[in-house]
Amino acid sequence: IFPALKSALSEISDRSGRRPSRKQAPRAEGAAGRRRAQPCQKEPARGSPRPGSSQRKQAERRRQREELGEQGRSSAERTFEGRRKRDGRASLKEQRAPPKKEKEVPRKEEMWKRPKKHRSPSLASSASGGESLSEEELAWILEQVEDRKKLIATMRNKPWPMTKKLRELREAQEFVEKYEGALGKGRGKRLYAYRMLVAKKWVKFKRDFDNFKTQCIPWEMKIKDIESHFGSSVASYFIFLRWMYGVNLVLFGLIFGLVIIPEVLMGVPYGSIPRKTVPRAEEEKAMDFSVLWDFEGYIKYSALFYGYYNNQRTIGWLRYRLPMAYFMVGVSVFGYSLMIVIRSMASNSQGSASDGESANFTFSFKMFTSWDYLIGNSETADNKYASITTSFKESIVDEQESNKEENIHLTRFLRVLANFLIICCLCGSGYLIYFVVKRSQEFSKMQNVSWYERNEVEIVMSLLGMFCPPLFETIAALENYHPRIGLKWQLGRIFALFLGNLYTFLLALMDDVHLKLSNEETIKNITHWTLFNYYNSSGWNESVPRPPLHPADVPRGSCWETAVGIEFMRLTVSDMLVTYITILLGDFLRACFVRFMNYCWCWDLEAGFPSYAEFDISGNVLGLIFNQGMIWMGSFYAPGLVGINVLRLLTSMYFQCWAVMSSNVPHERVFKASRSNNFYMGLLLLVLFLSLLPVAYTIMSLPPSFDCGPFSGKNRMYDVIQETIENDFPTFLGKIFAFLANPGLIVPAILLMFLAIYYLNSVSKSLSRANAQLRKKIQALREVEKSHKSVKGRKTAQDSEDTAKDASKNATQLQLTKEGTTPHSASQNETPDKKAQDPGTSSSASGTMLPASRHLSIARPPGARPDSGPARPQTHPWRSASRKSAQRPPH
Amino acid sequence: MGLILCSLVSHSQITRLYSRFTSLDKGENGTLSREDFQRIPELAINPLGDRIINAFFPEGEDQVNFRGFMRTLAHFRPIEDNEKSKDVNGPEPLNSRSNKLHFAFRLYDLDKDDKISRDELLQVLRMMVGVNISDEQLGSIADRTIQEADQDGDSAISFTEFVKVLEKVDVEQKMSIRFLH
Repeated sequence: IFPALKSALSEISDRSGRRPSRKQAPRAEGAAGRRRAQPCQKEPARGSPRPGSSQRKQAERRRQREELGEQGRSSAERTFEGRRKRDGRASLKEQRAPPKKEKEVPRKEEMWKRPKKHRSPSLASSASGGESLSEEELAWILEQVEDRKKLIATMRNKPWPMTKKLRELREAQEFVEKYEGALGKGRGKRLYAYRMLVAKKWVKFKRDFDNFKTQCIPWEMKIKDIESHFGSSVASYFIFLRWMYGVNLVLFGLIFGLVIIPEVLMGVPYGSIPRKTVPRAEEEKAMDFSVLWDFEGYIKYSALFYGYYNNQRTIGWLRYRLPMAYFMVGVSVFGYSLMIVIRSMASNSQGSASDGESANFTFSFKMFTSWDYLIGNSETADNKYASITTSFKESIVDEQESNKEENIHLTRFLRVLANFLIICCLCGSGYLIYFVVKRSQEFSKMQNVSWYERNEVEIVMSLLGMFCPPLFETIAALENYHPRIGLKWQLGRIFALFLGNLYTFLLALMDDVHLKLSNEETIKNITHWTLFNYYNSSGWNESVPRPPLHPADVPRGSCWETAVGIEFMRLTVSDMLVTYITILLGDFLRACFVRFMNYCWCWDLEAGFPSYAEFDISGNVLGLIFNQGMIWMGSFYAPGLVGINVLRLLTSMYFQCWAVMSSNVPHERVFKASRSNNFYMGLLLLVLFLSLLPVAYTIMSLPPSFDCGPFSGKNRMYDVIQETIENDFPTFLGKIFAFLANPGLIVPAILLMFLAIYYLNSVSKSLSRANAQLRKKIQALREVEKSHKSVKGRKTAQDSEDTAKDASKNATQLQLTKEGTTPHSASQNETPDKKAQDPGTSSSASGTMLPASRHLSIARPPGARPDSGPARPQTHPWRSASRKSAQRPPH
Repeated sequence: MGLILCSLVSHSQITRLYSRFTSLDKGENGTLSREDFQRIPELAINPLGDRIINAFFPEGEDQVNFRGFMRTLAHFRPIEDNEKSKDVNGPEPLNSRSNKLHFAFRLYDLDKDDKISRDELLQVLRMMVGVNISDEQLGSIADRTIQEADQDGDSAISFTEFVKVLEKVDVEQKMSIRFLH
């Protein structure tokens, strides 16, 4: 049965797939080629190349079979030893066989047949040890190569279109080049073998390299592990975290390599100028831990913050323009982030659009293809079991959601109520923050304030961040959304909360900055006066110049930029600590408590009230996004912030992976993460834009401090560009820049950009509409087909018997004439038909593949089937093959 | 018999497989028993492992010799790129796509009636997910699967339907075992 099916199938695929090219093939090769191609195609059907030689080969084969089968293992071993000896030759032949990828049909068929034919007797001859076959093969290749050469020579005369000519020519040349080497004696042959060997090794290397690349993806195993236990939604957080880590690494490299390192290596050292020295008043406490913890003291006057940098135009022997570099790095941090976020959004949406079709067979795919046959490790297998279970659960949830029906009015009411409550919460927290910030401004004016009063803002914000999201989640339970949509709502709400917090924080900061700026003028005067008095004071020997004032004694301004940087630094660190402590207390200790107190408690802790914590996806994602916003805002004023953030992300990767695996349980309703995490990315983009605003505002409209930072002494920070253009570029470039900055040019450019955006947007909209319509059409077509088939199903089952006979008759004719077509469905139906005829043989036949009877089954009329090979697989094939070749007249 | 073998696997592969065969053969009698197979980790942990092992054994026998071993293993051999293109008439290699699919199909088709019924699906599901999903849900999964795949309305999956479902899936990749290389 099985061989019959297969040969029928291959026959079909041959007929249907190759027919068009066959038409052109004979023309290509001329009449001679056609004559030669025919016997070659017939050969496999008969199972032996030539009637005459078939007898000899069968005898050989029979002898080998007897050896293998009857003498048992010892002889088999002997055969393989013999084979190993001949390995060199064999592998050469082996290698020659596979790379024959040709488009033209007769060529291809021949070539495919040849290796089959030759490889097979090569095994047979391994018992008898004949060398002639290799020569035969060489002769064949020689013939082929000659053929190709002739084709190349006569190519001009062929009445083909030019594209076809070119294609044929290229193919033929490739072939000649490839196989000519094999024909040459000595060096050419060895070169050919060597080339094949290299090609094979290259394939293997590529595969190994791919494996290696997969292994190099950081934390891939950890994330897969989590994904298999907790589902794709939790894993999506970790993937996002990893992505974020990558982005921050790049930012870190940018800032560290272009700003911090040059400053440390080439800038004037610590203690040489006032801005790089701890003031006298702070000196004694500057090394205390409590001071350092607040990023005051020595840390404040280090390269981590804006104020440390000098406004010298160039530093070191490289004449590195540090202020310029500082500015450009600040801009490019934003530029790079914008680009990478948008690019990753675009690539995500491309990925999601391409595989819409597979949604038709969700369950079938999971059912039939979920197991990975390459798994050989029991731990991996456990994970695979877990992930299969999880994916089924996810699909069930999706399925249930899609056909759920409920009271629409109640749901609406509840949703409105929930939104109302949440808006109340948001307003309340916004007011609380405003209040606290106002108070902290008062505290900052007072002298001795306690630790709590100093850190009140941070504490309140952290507490809000800790308690509001669970509150929102509780309220959101009213709404009864699908978890995936619910997650988005939740994310949006917490986003609003955090946004409120952030902006209140920023406003407070701005007040502070303006206060400091207003004081700056007086401080500047004081500084001038101090220096003036110092140098002009009486009672000093005029002939000897006074040693300069010690930098620690110079009075200096408050340097608002560093103050802003310190605020962001503090916020980031406190945020990190709060996150870790929450995880430790809320997840780990809770899990320990539940796990170990369960033995001696009144009720079941694991199933009852405290239970284990679930992983809070929304909170974690937003925490990450806002943290990133903080980094973007702060990195201009505190270059070291990105370094801290890289550390934070790194530790949080390991820490959270551990916490999730050790103390969390999978969500009750595991749901599949939306295929693209564009929602996260969208939020990130929004935060990026929002954090760009304050930075741009401060750069554009606030004057830099007069005595600290790389831009001190300038009117605005961006003046550094103008300065560079004027001093370092040729004048005409300066003119060009001035011309480009003309509003008359910028406004049209912006208008043009808007038009382009509008146009592209409308184009993409119409395309996606067309896409959706096409998909709908396919779906509809499929439905129609389904219903059509179910009606017709029985009818075709009845007809199949007749068509099967026709089909096999057709097949017979095909074997003889090599023309015409085979009805598709008919020869496919052949299989069950035959099965019905002799059920006894079917089971044993299906287990064994019989090469010879495979060739027979088509050519033979259906009536002659019952006594054919499959019943006695050990002895039959060869006998029936020989009978076959006897039955059929040679062509 | 030599003819099939060497059309399926390369020479060095046969020798390597033969040494693998002998190392698996604890009874040292030139045949493998079911217990021998269960020592292969890939099969031991596979939820369908028992069925795959069964596929090695011809009906009613509990020993398999090297040839039978090779014949079944050939299904798992990856299709190499250069083999894909030459799928024309004549003997189709055992590791072709349709043969791989048929092999897989027979793993699911327990009663060998060329249809995968709901009960057969349920059995496989239970093997794959264990007790983590309730029977009711398993039933709905099986129903959904059949509903998706079934085209002629007989509430079972035939081989053609099976092929149709897996049209887009890379069976060649999924049903390949690396130890043949």
